[in-house]
Amino acid sequence: MIPALAHISDSAPRRRASRSLARRTADALASAVAEVLANDEVASRPGLMQRLDPRVKLISILGFAVTVSFVHSLPVLLAMAVLTVALAVASRIAAGPFLRKVWAAAGFFGVLLAAPAVTAWITPGTVLVPFGPASITYPGLLVAARLVLRVAGGAGFGLLVMLTTRWTDLLAALTAMRVPDLVVATLAMTQQQIMSLLRTVENMHLARESRMLSTASAGQDRGWVVERMAFVARKSFKTADDVYDAMLARGFSGAVPTLSRLATGPRDWTWLLVSVASCAAMLAIDRMVFPA
Amino acid sequence: MHIPDGYLGPQTYAVLDAAIVPAWWFAGARVKKTLRAKQVPLMALAAAFSFVIMMFNVPVIGGSTGHAVGATLIAILLGPWAACIAVSIALVIQALVFGDGGITAIGANCINMAVIMPFVGFYLYRLIAGDAPGRGRRIAAAGVASYVAIVAAAIAAGVEFGLQPLISHTASGQPLYAPYPLAVAVPAMAIEHMLFFGFVEALMTMGIVAVLARQDSGLLEMKPAARPLRWLWASFAGLVLLTPIGVLAEGTAWGEWGAAELKATLGFVPAGLEKLGGLWTAAMPDYAPPFIANPLVGYLVAAVLGSALVIGATWLLAKLLSRKAGDTPSGPVSPAA
Repeated sequence: MIPALAHISDSAPRRRASRSLARRTADALASAVAEVLANDEVASRPGLMQRLDPRVKLISILGFAVTVSFVHSLPVLLAMAVLTVALAVASRIAAGPFLRKVWAAAGFFGVLLAAPAVTAWITPGTVLVPFGPASITYPGLLVAARLVLRVAGGAGFGLLVMLTTRWTDLLAALTAMRVPDLVVATLAMTQQQIMSLLRTVENMHLARESRMLSTASAGQDRGWVVERMAFVARKSFKTADDVYDAMLARGFSGAVPTLSRLATGPRDWTWLLVSVASCAAMLAIDRMVFPA
Repeated sequence: MHIPDGYLGPQTYAVLDAAIVPAWWFAGARVKKTLRAKQVPLMALAAAFSFVIMMFNVPVIGGSTGHAVGATLIAILLGPWAACIAVSIALVIQALVFGDGGITAIGANCINMAVIMPFVGFYLYRLIAGDAPGRGRRIAAAGVASYVAIVAAAIAAGVEFGLQPLISHTASGQPLYAPYPLAVAVPAMAIEHMLFFGFVEALMTMGIVAVLARQDSGLLEMKPAARPLRWLWASFAGLVLLTPIGVLAEGTAWGEWGAAELKATLGFVPAGLEKLGGLWTAAMPDYAPPFIANPLVGYLVAAVLGSALVIGATWLLAKLLSRKAGDTPSGPVSPAA
């Protein structure tokens, strides 16, 4: 269940231009916290990917991400991008919000970065729309489409891990995959501290917003932001000392116990086989049917 | 600067993913040695701080805002090896939890923002600030170091992008990954960071160092740099020894043509260039000392002499600056501050 605080950005819609820096930052921080909480809720749904052992899921998704990077033909790249949406739907994630997340994570910048590549200046070739050095060329369109589809496919697979795996399960998978305890412990603690610091910083911004009677100048905003950053730095180091004392008091031995019990079953092995076969098939089609 | 999946080809991301592992291993060993048992909470908090600092919007000009990476600041506070781990952890969490930055590109992002940035920033800060800097010099050093460090990281990202059309393309020459050549990708990344993000980074780092120097100067105590100068000098000597490789390259660097080359290419020499071209005759034109016949040895000698001149000039400048600043060491923390 997402607490009401996490919905600040939805419940208090205002025109972007009229919002103060404090308000905008507080909204961004609130939506970051909300995103993490919402991800945990989505990861608990009884969908296809959520039922998989996190180790199997990590390995298979990494396999898909690597396959996307090896594929060059547009039809296969498109098929892999569509596959991410199909897997999202099978994991009880609505296609619309999933596509919006892919767009926000990589699609927008992918299109922005790919746009100049469609011109004759970057990619010369058969001109489709003449406009001097900015004429749109056929090879340019191919290059841009390939980049956008590849980025969308890669981001889609990355988001599938993020949306269908609880953070605790991911840490348990890393432990089982022989990642050193020190790294796993640090990752676990970092995520908790991030949430705590995000809340602190969000509260700072909201407190400032509530005290402001008029808009501050950019210089005043800058001074305030820098002061607050320095406060966060000092708080971080002070908290590190406190956490260390607490660890000593509780007899921390270096091992990271987890409540997640990982076990692979027939479903996981079937999924792994299907994943390997799909990746091999995609590569074979790419190389044999659509050679670059 | 977070590179998503799809921009770098397998040849590039595999090399960078492989390169980051020994960096992490070595950083882990260094941190374990210096921070001992405190490392877990300190690294976690530093990583969390690194993450959160990227979420602060800093107002710049014309109503626009930008965010900083904070790698140089963390390197100043914790040392470069600890910063390497802290920023890496923040980047891994950003990729896995927030979808910012690609999974296959984790190595590239960590090399740029968790290795190049903190190391360039930290050692430049040490070089400018000296061993016992006053408050003003410390703040100025933090600003210059963070600015140069983020531009260096951006150039590294630009090189990674720019190599893609050279490494991976179709039979007809179409690029398969990031489509822009080095001549476009490197200036694009460098200019963007030199004109905008570099100032945001410098502004933020200087501001926080200024506040910490006033309120909690203990945090800014010079961190053990793991025999930094020895490593720096060794790497530097290695680079000087490698300079004769430059002689193997044919042609002249783009835009650095002399009158004879312009005449050969264009058929004429621009009047202004012809007039001003002979104004100054260098002591060692084309890095070839006139008293050495062998071009390889000459190139090496030119590198040694040039480096000695640069180091000497920097040392003199640092001496002058430290005398002018008066080197008032930052005093104890005032509770009222």
